Amino acid sequence: MDAVKEALREGRPVALFPDGEGVVLVAEVGRDVRVFRFGEGRRFPSLAAEFPAMDWWERALWERGYTPEGHPDPKPLRRHDLPYAFREFKELHEVPVGPVHAGIIEPGHFRFSVLGERIVNLEIRLGYQHRGLLALLPGKGPEAALLLVERAGSEPLAHALAFAQAWEEALGRKAPPRAQALRRAALELERAFGHLGHLAGLFTDIGYAYGATQVGRIRALLQGELDRLTGHRYGRNFLRVGGVWREGRPDLSALALYREELARLLPRLLKHPQVLDRMRYVGVVRRVEAEALGFVGPTARASGVARDLRQDDPAYLSFQPVVRQGGDVLARAQVYAEETLQALDYALHFLTHLPEGPLAQDLPPGDGEAMARVEAGRGEVFWFVRVAGGEVALAEGVDPSFKNWRALELAVRGEGLPDFPLCNKSFDLSYAGNDL
Amino acid sequence: MSLMQTLRIGRLARPLEDLLRVPDHAFGYPLLRPEGLTEEAQEALLGLCPSGAFFREGRTFGLDLARCVGCGRCALARPEAVGEMKRLEVAVTRKEDLVQRVDLERGTFLDPGPPPPPRPELALPTLAFREVSAGDTGLADSEVALAGNPFNDMGRFGFSVVASPRHADALLVTGPVSRNMAEALRRTYEAVPEPKGVVAVGNEAISGGVFAGSPEVVGGVDRVVPVDVYVPGDPPRPGAILFGLLLLAGRVRQRLVGGVLR
Repeated sequence: MDAVKEALREGRPVALFPDGEGVVLVAEVGRDVRVFRFGEGRRFPSLAAEFPAMDWWERALWERGYTPEGHPDPKPLRRHDLPYAFREFKELHEVPVGPVHAGIIEPGHFRFSVLGERIVNLEIRLGYQHRGLLALLPGKGPEAALLLVERAGSEPLAHALAFAQAWEEALGRKAPPRAQALRRAALELERAFGHLGHLAGLFTDIGYAYGATQVGRIRALLQGELDRLTGHRYGRNFLRVGGVWREGRPDLSALALYREELARLLPRLLKHPQVLDRMRYVGVVRRVEAEALGFVGPTARASGVARDLRQDDPAYLSFQPVVRQGGDVLARAQVYAEETLQALDYALHFLTHLPEGPLAQDLPPGDGEAMARVEAGRGEVFWFVRVAGGEVALAEGVDPSFKNWRALELAVRGEGLPDFPLCNKSFDLSYAGNDL
Repeated sequence: MSLMQTLRIGRLARPLEDLLRVPDHAFGYPLLRPEGLTEEAQEALLGLCPSGAFFREGRTFGLDLARCVGCGRCALARPEAVGEMKRLEVAVTRKEDLVQRVDLERGTFLDPGPPPPPRPELALPTLAFREVSAGDTGLADSEVALAGNPFNDMGRFGFSVVASPRHADALLVTGPVSRNMAEALRRTYEAVPEPKGVVAVGNEAISGGVFAGSPEVVGGVDRVVPVDVYVPGDPPRPGAILFGLLLLAGRVRQRLVGGVLR
């Protein structure tokens, strides 16, 4: 256990999942990935008291029938047939919100304890989107499995890519170079599309209609190019294990034009007094909190954590992650804005330097196991797959949202209740991805 | 553009005709070709569809559009047996109109007869919708939101999305309805004043889609609340959603009957 604690002290958890007897912890220390197996039968020592980042992971296992011995507050995460006690604060007013929200958004329940209008504590209860996705995977072949994986969180390309890469590595194969470039181009378009959505939502939430309309317009046009490349408005049915299914032709000059337009527009929008007034110093997540709770993606980078998985991918040349120090809503908006331009640059790069060759190679049905990680728009997507006879024997996936949801609990502390939607939108996390 | 057309669809928005067309680069909805359905082609289709949209029952071969994920592999591999519908007027008021059934002996489509007419009490000049996401991955929700953007402009038809079910005339529901959302969906429905309609948006909302059979989902909106209009798609494009809303309001005629555009 000392090695596990040492790894968690220096790094952060990537995944924790049950595998027959005991559990497997995957942790990132520096740029390395370490794998630990511990526990006996269905019991394992809890680490949540010492490492708060482990809290939700262990609760997720607890409701799957595993016992984290010594967990300070075991209660369900996704199962609603088990009793659930919200943390109580004497003499404070409680405001329940959801599961059905006012906007067009996925369901979740938020319990605020407020003093006047000031939020003292927020407890998030999710699980409304739980569809039992992981349990459906065993026994599926690569194509049927990908259908489910593309529905794990709202970034289908990132999930499909991580899953396909894990499968390919399990069988010791690689997708052909042309497929790899097309996959990365699609991933970058997905990132730009998602980030522009977060920005348009932020502008809507502060009532900045001009900003929301302008960003929304370019976003819709960009979605058309993603559609042209993949044949689907969100990039489903594009990836396959072994490569890609098809090769569409996006309009490269249009993409370059959108990039130029955004490069002119976004800095101006983010300097607007209305934006600065409402976004600066609001919803702060400090770096020490981001590191202790293991946040990933733009959430972590806006709080000064300079980590992006694309740093380890040689195809991205010398990759520089976008980092801000403020940790507030504005910092996250700035990271989204800058990463959008970066993503479009990379998409154009990959699409103009497409290697020749086939789009896919057929993989023989074989045995093996491997894990893979991909930097999605929201952060690290993780998939582990064990293949037996060309079918899934065991698969575990983690959406970045699962790692980041508690950032919202921290960000709204001490803020006024009306700032909650703005803080929420600044992370814009996936509910379904959390509730796998 | 004629004045009437401008008044009806506005100038900034795309013409309705363009909105209801599947773009050239994307696969539309599959359409069986009865003459090409040899024994061998049937076997191949049953084997290659990753989502299990094809089925065979006795002397009938069929295709359930609500199970199709739109990957287009069937039409690519077996062009003699599967064609393509490039239109988005696919919303229906009864589920069997999403299923193409070919009588293999006669080589013709089975016709389930004329669909029921839309409910006259929902033929209102404006309709307010409350959206409920019940196990959807977020993409069908996103398409509903995009149906209101300046390109699709659902507002030109008098449609709007409102925050409270008390302000709504109808619900738009996405997702296979997770068990954990069934009660919330039922209570949201009860909060909508009469007369009220329900539109199931996307394959998962129609019968569970790829999640059908999971013990954690109910498997379709109509198992929890009554549904007036089903919009197939994975997720449906905004144009298809708009057509579904127009169908609910009784302003268009249902075109998909027995799974075939008529």
